[in-house]
Amino acid sequence: MSELSRRTMLGGSGVLALSLTTGIAQARILPKDMVPLIGPGYRAVDQDEKGLWQQMERVEEEVAGSNLLIKDPRLTAYLGDLIGRVGGPAAKDMRIYLARIPEFNAVMFPTGFAVVFSGLLLRMRNEAQLAGVIAHESAHFLRKHQLRQWRDMRRKTDIFSFLAMGAGVAGGAAGVYAGDLVQLAQLGTILSLLKYNRTLEAEADAMGVRLLAEAGYDPTGMSETWQQLIAERDLSAKYRRKKRERDFSLFSTHPAPESRMADLRISAAEAKVPGRRYDDFRDRYLAALAPIRPTLLDDQVKLNDPGASQYVIETLARDGWNGLLRFYEGETWRLRNSQKQHDELRAAQGYAAAILYPDAPADAWRWHGIMLMKQGRPVEARAAFARYLQMAPNAPDAPFVRQMMAG
Amino acid sequence: MRRLGIALIASVALAGCVQTRQYADVEFAPPQGNYKLLVMRPDVTVGSVTTGGLVEPRADWTETARTKLLAAIRAQQAERGGNVLILDRRDSLPGVDPDTIAELERLHYAVGSSIALHRYSGAYLPTKRGKGLDWTLGEDAVALGRRTGYDYALFLHAEDSFASTGRVGLQVLGIAGCFVGFCAPNIGGGGQFAYASLVDLRTGEVVWFNVLQAGSQIAGIKMGDIRTDAGAAQMVDRLLDRMKPGREVRRRQKAAQ
Repeated sequence: MSELSRRTMLGGSGVLALSLTTGIAQARILPKDMVPLIGPGYRAVDQDEKGLWQQMERVEEEVAGSNLLIKDPRLTAYLGDLIGRVGGPAAKDMRIYLARIPEFNAVMFPTGFAVVFSGLLLRMRNEAQLAGVIAHESAHFLRKHQLRQWRDMRRKTDIFSFLAMGAGVAGGAAGVYAGDLVQLAQLGTILSLLKYNRTLEAEADAMGVRLLAEAGYDPTGMSETWQQLIAERDLSAKYRRKKRERDFSLFSTHPAPESRMADLRISAAEAKVPGRRYDDFRDRYLAALAPIRPTLLDDQVKLNDPGASQYVIETLARDGWNGLLRFYEGETWRLRNSQKQHDELRAAQGYAAAILYPDAPADAWRWHGIMLMKQGRPVEARAAFARYLQMAPNAPDAPFVRQMMAG
Repeated sequence: MRRLGIALIASVALAGCVQTRQYADVEFAPPQGNYKLLVMRPDVTVGSVTTGGLVEPRADWTETARTKLLAAIRAQQAERGGNVLILDRRDSLPGVDPDTIAELERLHYAVGSSIALHRYSGAYLPTKRGKGLDWTLGEDAVALGRRTGYDYALFLHAEDSFASTGRVGLQVLGIAGCFVGFCAPNIGGGGQFAYASLVDLRTGEVVWFNVLQAGSQIAGIKMGDIRTDAGAAQMVDRLLDRMKPGREVRRRQKAAQ
């Protein structure tokens, strides 16, 4: 073997070593180390950042004009207040958009605007949990994560390209095929990029806890959110006779939910100042969400993901059942419609339970009536339909229901 | 050594190219005379290609290119005799609110993506065979035309990028490697991509569509630069100046001769 090829071999094993170290779990990032990197009124400074911001301004223009947005002014003002409380020094600069997408997600863009999915609002039990997610997203902006990630990617792909070309040329000169080593180095580069992404997510979690506690919210809300999400995904998978998907940790963009939950719990205990009062502001949250909660539940059950829907409804019901939750419990089974699991009966029970509450929606009475009709109890069914028509006299199916009552 | 030289030249000759591919409605006649054209806000991005091959957007280059392109379109249309309004913002059309313009832009984006997929990317549709260009923006476009009196709307998208010093260095290394038997003469980096779409506001139909690609596979050699006056004029010329009439129109012209 010539001198040159031995050098490329050494380079290759160095890359291999790098790819192995990325697999080792890292130490928890401490909330106290997470200081904001930007101040109020921050604007793009460097050339690459200016380019990124210019593109993002176009993106925000599209997002702001999207017809997926829920534009209820009271709700958007409420979300704006939240980001104002947990947004640190950039609290006044950040914008928040609420998109009607029934999934658990929120995204922060490099210029300081966030998109929150409606499915997230549905799943949060109190304001502290929601503020926790918003604090996490704020941290991405305050710690300049998107820009740092871009720079990391640029640097590592630059280095990889030069090394790969160098290895090829050196290998060519020495008459050795360097392709395998280059592929190994490519894998190492990808793993290293993903690891950086996970580090930034862990930073955002740690800083989120800190922002949350500083604003007087109970910081344990963040680990509760993860606990709920893990359990929901488990149940959703179980109902589909599958196992929850778990990424091989080396290849994922975010740390594993379990380790996030554990880190968040420790960080929360650390961030609390003894003697200070922390609240979850549940009542305020319920009041703010009341106008859209039926829509949120409706979107969720229509996904026909009965495991997830059941988990979400039962999690919300931990704070007390009501007519709305019972009605959508019934809807979950009616839409699954499995004869083997007696879903029709379960749905009927859901509707029958819903109408016992004063807040039962009109549709609960309608479906209760239909189920009674099917069970051969026309007198009671008529009473239920009468109640439905009284609550929703202008419903599109009102003439049809009247017909059923007469028939 | 001589054989290598030939191979290099061949790769250079193959690698640098400018090509356009246009489709038109079978009954399309290029606008002439006293027509009124609305140029929708052009979507321009200019960036720098990093050593690793990523395109990094550059705010200053993009702004310059946008200004130069608008000027080039104005000059080109003035020659043709058309009455042109260029929207540099969504609210620059008097009497039409920016949301209406935004909706139309989004609709066009969806329709344009469909044209790209079924006309350019190979997913040909049997139902569109032999029909030239058979897509429409429908009533929304007609309504805009009726309200503003414009005959056509032109949608434009332009991207340009340039190899950074690092990328060019990498290219030099790749070409140098050819002498020791590891040849990477065309790693790519930089180039132009643009499309233009003409909508007839009297029928709502997309009557003409053109895609331009210009670039070389050799980092550092550029086939145009829309940050300059000449480069912007060149792109407008390549993209818009050779509108071919539709198939039926050409057939009739041929028969008349």
